[in-house]
Amino acid sequence: MEKIKFKLNGKDEIFEGDLSSRLLDVLRDDFRLTGVKCGCKEGECGACAVLIDKKLVNSCMVAMGAIDGSEIISIEGFKETERFKVLDRAFAELSAVQCGFCTPGMVLAAEALLSENPHPTEEEVRIGISGNLCRCTGYNAIVNAILKASKEGNGLW
Amino acid sequence: MVGSFIPKNKKEALDLKAKYTELIPYSGGTDLMVENRKNPSYLFLGKLNELKGIKKTDGKIEIGAETTFTEALESPIIPQMMKDALILIAAPAIRNTGTFAGNIGNGSAKADSALIEYGLDAVITVESVRGERNIPIEDFYLGRKHIDLNEDEIITKITIPDIHPDFYSYEKVGGRKALAISRIAFLGILEMESDKIKSISVSFGAVSEKIIRYKDVEKMLIGLTKEEAKAKKDEFVKAYEDRMQLTEGRVSADYRKKVTIKLLKEFLKNGGI
Repeated sequence: MEKIKFKLNGKDEIFEGDLSSRLLDVLRDDFRLTGVKCGCKEGECGACAVLIDKKLVNSCMVAMGAIDGSEIISIEGFKETERFKVLDRAFAELSAVQCGFCTPGMVLAAEALLSENPHPTEEEVRIGISGNLCRCTGYNAIVNAILKASKEGNGLW
Repeated sequence: MVGSFIPKNKKEALDLKAKYTELIPYSGGTDLMVENRKNPSYLFLGKLNELKGIKKTDGKIEIGAETTFTEALESPIIPQMMKDALILIAAPAIRNTGTFAGNIGNGSAKADSALIEYGLDAVITVESVRGERNIPIEDFYLGRKHIDLNEDEIITKITIPDIHPDFYSYEKVGGRKALAISRIAFLGILEMESDKIKSISVSFGAVSEKIIRYKDVEKMLIGLTKEEAKAKKDEFVKAYEDRMQLTEGRVSADYRKKVTIKLLKEFLKNGGI
């Protein structure tokens, strides 16, 4: 069995299990990173999104063999950043969180978007979170929170 | 079950595929992982640099099979009509990992990039330890979920011409804006030479077992001026209407027929025919 090496939330890790294992399951079951949510397991909901080499990816659609040498950031790792604090505050102030199940994916989708485009338009925000479903908020509060974070976090992204 | 492998380069990938033909080529995983196969043996190809990247050579654009849709969208070389289709594929997280090889590798007539490849007469390069084959895309698709790929081969490259048509129209009809599987997809391309039609390419995706393109029907308008083509327009449209046998799926065959013909007529009208 091949070993794979990757970085998870800043720490070097080695995985020696079956390379066809699903990243989502490994993150939740082996690393107990339960902020990564399992919603649909078919790429439709975005609740399991993580950043792989700075890009937003659904961890349910990734087998472990595909991340050899990659850097993974889950919501638990992103939580430690200044950028997270700005998004956290904006989401809280604008009630962009209700049940919270989509929130980790939404926040990472926002981070992926703002990293590439620090001052997006409303339409660009909607495209940025278009793969993340939310059944509570109706999206407007989330879109407004991301726009607010973009303004208030000026210089962070 | 032989287990999964992460080859270090293309040669190793081809050697492994020759030795263990049951290995399933794994590109971006966005389709494969949804299948949820039991104890699969994957051949991980997504990080092989030899199979990635986009380059322009000699009037042609070569797209490495493992290039992701996001990478293609960021490339100044990829033609706008391809980008029009790519930007409507799923959502950012899927475009970040989904690849050109994966999109055609499952043999679906709904593959959004495949429609553009049909319209542009793309050539698919497949390789094995025995050598390389270059297959026109219309021959590569043999039927529903059935492609011309031998068990020791992998898809390595997609080549499209670097053309700048006078007019084109790409339309995707889906149930929603994002994360939508095409119910009907249309591509029309019109190239003029002085005042005559040099080429016209009309392709329909997601409406049949394979993508539909009738080159013999297209010939009806080649060499004509737009005025002359207008006179033949009804006959041209009828040829499609008569010939297309569309499949029932998420939407009815009747709906598909009506919309495909409407899209064809719109394309002709907007193209000045």
